[in-house]
Amino acid sequence: MSATASVAEAVSSKPLRLSGSQPFTQQAGVYIMIGERTNVAGSPKFARLVKEGKYEEAVSVARQQVENGANVIDICMDEGMIDGVAAMTRYLQLLASEPEVAKVPFMVDSSKWEVIEAGLKCLQGKGIVNSISLKEGEEKFRQNAATVLKYGAAVVVMAFDEQGQAATYEEKIRICERAYRILVDEVSFPPEDIIFDPNILTVATGMEEHNNYAVDFINATRWIKANLPHAKVSGGVSNISFSFRGNNKVREAMHSAFLYHAIAAGMDMGIVNAGMLEVYEEIDPELKVLVEDVLLNRRPDATERLVEHGEALKHIGVVVSEKKAEEWRHGTVEERLSHALVKGIDAYIELDAEEARVKLGRPLLVIEGPLMDGMGVVGDLFGAGKMFLPQVVKSARVMKKAVAHLTPYMEAEKAAMEASGQVVKAQGKILLATVKGDVHDIGKNIVGVVLACNNYEVIDMGVMVSSEKILDRAKTEKVDLIGLSGLITPSLDEMVHVAREMERQGFKVPLLIGGATTSRRHTAVKIAPHYSEPVVHILDASRAVPVTTSLLSDDAKPAFVKQYRAEYEALRTAHAAPRQQGVPLETARSRRTPIEWRAEDVPTPAFSGVRVLDNFPLATLREYIDWSPLFHAWGLKGVYPRILEHEQQGEQARQIFADANALLDRMIEQNSITARGVYGFFPANAVGDDVELYTGGTRGEVLERFHFLRQQANREGSEPCRSLSDFIAPKETGLPDHIGAFAVTSGVGLKELCDQFRADNDDYNAIMAEAIADRLAEAFAECLHKRVRDEWGYGCEENLSPADLIQEKYRGIRPAAGYPACPDHTEKGLLWRLLDVEANTGMRITESFAMWPGSSVSGLYFAHPESRYFSLGKIDRDQVTDYHERKGMSVADVERWLGPYLNYDPA
Amino acid sequence: MTTANQHPLEKIIESRIAIIDGAMGTTIRTYGMKEADIRGERFKDSTKDLLNNGDLFSLTQPKMICDIHRRFLEAGADIIETNTFGATSITQSEFFVDDPREHGGRKDPEFYQKIIDDSMLSNLAWEINEQSARQCREWADRVGSATGRQRFVAGAIGPLTVSLSNSPDADDAGFRVVTFDQVKTAYAEQVRALIAGGSDLLLVETIFDSLNAKAALVAIREVFDQDGKELPVMISAAVGRGGETLISAQTTEAFWNAVAHVKPLSVGLNCSLGPDLMYPFLDELSAKADVAISCYPNAGLPNPLSETGFDLGPEDMARYLGNFARSGLINIAGGCCGNTPEHIAAIAKALEGHAPREWSRQIESAA
Repeated sequence: MSATASVAEAVSSKPLRLSGSQPFTQQAGVYIMIGERTNVAGSPKFARLVKEGKYEEAVSVARQQVENGANVIDICMDEGMIDGVAAMTRYLQLLASEPEVAKVPFMVDSSKWEVIEAGLKCLQGKGIVNSISLKEGEEKFRQNAATVLKYGAAVVVMAFDEQGQAATYEEKIRICERAYRILVDEVSFPPEDIIFDPNILTVATGMEEHNNYAVDFINATRWIKANLPHAKVSGGVSNISFSFRGNNKVREAMHSAFLYHAIAAGMDMGIVNAGMLEVYEEIDPELKVLVEDVLLNRRPDATERLVEHGEALKHIGVVVSEKKAEEWRHGTVEERLSHALVKGIDAYIELDAEEARVKLGRPLLVIEGPLMDGMGVVGDLFGAGKMFLPQVVKSARVMKKAVAHLTPYMEAEKAAMEASGQVVKAQGKILLATVKGDVHDIGKNIVGVVLACNNYEVIDMGVMVSSEKILDRAKTEKVDLIGLSGLITPSLDEMVHVAREMERQGFKVPLLIGGATTSRRHTAVKIAPHYSEPVVHILDASRAVPVTTSLLSDDAKPAFVKQYRAEYEALRTAHAAPRQQGVPLETARSRRTPIEWRAEDVPTPAFSGVRVLDNFPLATLREYIDWSPLFHAWGLKGVYPRILEHEQQGEQARQIFADANALLDRMIEQNSITARGVYGFFPANAVGDDVELYTGGTRGEVLERFHFLRQQANREGSEPCRSLSDFIAPKETGLPDHIGAFAVTSGVGLKELCDQFRADNDDYNAIMAEAIADRLAEAFAECLHKRVRDEWGYGCEENLSPADLIQEKYRGIRPAAGYPACPDHTEKGLLWRLLDVEANTGMRITESFAMWPGSSVSGLYFAHPESRYFSLGKIDRDQVTDYHERKGMSVADVERWLGPYLNYDPA
Repeated sequence: MTTANQHPLEKIIESRIAIIDGAMGTTIRTYGMKEADIRGERFKDSTKDLLNNGDLFSLTQPKMICDIHRRFLEAGADIIETNTFGATSITQSEFFVDDPREHGGRKDPEFYQKIIDDSMLSNLAWEINEQSARQCREWADRVGSATGRQRFVAGAIGPLTVSLSNSPDADDAGFRVVTFDQVKTAYAEQVRALIAGGSDLLLVETIFDSLNAKAALVAIREVFDQDGKELPVMISAAVGRGGETLISAQTTEAFWNAVAHVKPLSVGLNCSLGPDLMYPFLDELSAKADVAISCYPNAGLPNPLSETGFDLGPEDMARYLGNFARSGLINIAGGCCGNTPEHIAAIAKALEGHAPREWSRQIESAA
């Protein structure tokens, strides 16, 4: 519908709010589309599917409705041959397992009250009941409305009363007002949840009294919206054109013109086949006049004229709007299988599984390849909170179809192998149980479904199952795997007990562990050591199948077990490693670097603000190069210049050195790379472990705030617990301190240069150019630091040789984010903002806070004579929490970025 | 908001943040009770392990349970929860009836109909609810009059061990082990007994399946209508990393739309995620719901290797909830799994003097 509705009442009217698994809120002036294809009265195809018990196909009808943009889907099972309660219940329970459909609200549609109530019992969200009316009197009406309210649904109220259906404008508004007053005043029904259906009746029937039906509906709509606050209006649109059945061209035009006028009057929603709607503006102008003459009852001969004109259009069939071209069908078969699993689409899964089988040669390769990869994606999305459990289950059910298609081929393969005398393993058998003492198993049941969908034979022993029972059953059934589940903490000990028993009884099958309180680390540390076979933790239902597939595959098992053993051993080692003795953060803070703050140690730089250095002379930088790392890059250990004289490596080192210098000569001569940088000085003071940078000398407004961490672990006796913030004068000293910042690169043009070398098959020089650029970037930082010290004043007297500089014999430091004194890479983001690095130099930081191009260096300058490099070491939870609050970064993110520095196991 | 028959708790949450107690299950474990302790004389011949059926302690070890209630009250809880999280015939059946799956059978509506019809189970459920409510009533009133501050008893209604939204059958996504009416019947029994025992409020909590919760809410409405007595209702969901009810996967706003008709005293989040990960969804709920907001998270995510099973200490919880209060998000606060009376004391202290979230004005001006 392109009709732009001008709904005058929209301003003050409360919107209709509904929900499936997702919320739905009515937008002012936007018509709500209610899908009607899941209504047995409106869709013979749907009726047939339900009657024949083909519910799976019936579910796909709902799915198409949602895909075609229905905001709500109407579900009706009113048909003589259908058991309404059973069909409504079954269908809605199936839809609840179809995440793509379950996200929208459902309209439960029936003329039988018991069917409506059965429907309401299946809706987790807020749906709509269609409908109630005064047909059977006020008492019944009140009672039904109260029931709808009890379940929390909106309601469609038909303009019907004890005398029958309201046809005229007067009848419509009288009944609607009466119903409204009862609902609002007596039942306390929320008025915004009342949806009137003032009856769209057929026009152009040849009966004169029917001619005004459309006008009556439109006027009644306008009246309701003006007089019954917050109430909504809906209607079954296709009724209007019933006398033109068989002439879809006319019907489409009538529907769309009718909606155009009704929406303008305030109609909020309607039940309509979206495929049978023409765009109002695109109706043939002549037809439009004729249709509107009929709808708006503009002339007595309107019907005859439209019938006459319509005759000529009868042969034009309806172009039923094709479903949107399904883009994803164009991908490779692997991509299609993955898409189908992630989106839970089973329509083509057999087709695609077959294509993959032919392509890959063996059915098992399809399962262990693309299908397992697809499930891996599902697992990742679930782990990231981007997919929910019902979607995981739906994916598994799609997987089941693919596996079912492949099974006969696997059996044929098996038969052939057996015939040729080979031993063939049966499909895996898995025993699942919630351990003794624990009654929780909804999660375990989901794992069971996912495994069963992958063609495993799953024996689920339920909850509160003792070790003896589990192991006895495992023996008699000769299972291949045992999976234990538990939700509460005491279950962890019971799992240990089962593992011990398995060892004692000489079991040889792997053991799987899962449940809300279990963890990989706990499994490795506490359970696995008691059993010689693999004991593997399963994070969630989406991760079960990749593990079982590996464990039950003769080919994949050895590699999987090897990797599993190494990982779990590493977890045990990490766990056993004695925690470092840490001091509480408060104590650490009281042991900051002892500095006596004096004005003469706090120099004022020559300027404050930002300066850009473009096309910095490479020849100058050359003097500042520290050559030793260049040799390291080529695998030679030693220090320049001694390495050139080294007994064994000397010759090679001299060759590299000569080549490097020759290349550097050329690079300088041809200007093949460019050095660019930006740096600045800023008024700054320390506030706790943060350093505040100010916009001006008055230090009133904070420009930026850097967050530093403090040493906590392994600080013995009275050793200071250092933080970089110690080297900036604390605010309370009143000293006007400064901090410097810089970002430099010598990587501009490097990629092109290296590409050129590689194009010429000269990998040696390509690598050499990169190594040289790295050296130049470091040299740039060193050179700039010299300039900074001069501009700060104290550098002018230092009189050091480049070699002294490389050994950093000068005053002040230039630590970089991501290095030992301040390991949090994300602080680079602040630096980038502070110096506007990207605009000034073209250097960027990636999502992982790496600098681009390579051959870049950035950091901060500290001037105080006591400032020095140090290594942060491990930090405790109290500091992580404090840091999270200071920096406004979630604890999980802090723990992720500082993982190697944590003196504890994050949960 | 102010009406003549306004509940006293409503007045409190308009003027300050009310405190709800901490975890029962994890606190019980600190008392070192053994299987024999929970059985007592009465259940000594029970065939299944009962130790983790914590609700039974209200019958067999009332002293310990009352001690926990008292400690939470003295820590500053305005609201204490009855020890009835699993006190329905359905959940109790897991501890007293053999699981048919052990012998190749299955749980289905036929099985649960027997449970619903089992008078031993419904009597037991009644007794736990009524007794626990009475014990809470007694201690809430005692500490209340000793401190001159009224305390409230919330009848705790847990999520059950079955789901109305999920099929455990790989071959049939439409299968359910239990029906809506069975669940509703079990909840209605619990609700009546909680009211009979003297609860001030009803708390439908740890909702991982919105349809289970809906059955509880319908049961509550029917009990109110039939018995002619109404109590304020609190509603609290357990959500996952996407803010979805864990099993039925309904997102936060959708959930609120589905329960708003109840006109609860409060809606909120508890359990599942710790406070850190819960924040965005609490924020969303606070922006949408025109009722009070409650929040009582776990003491962080479960960590089986930590001594208490959870990572966050009293100070951590106090800091997080203090931040929530500063952001104007909450009216009722406390803790779920892993929160001891010490946690609640720290939370109560941290929230003292903080203004509660203002909601009526917020939502109206947004509408």
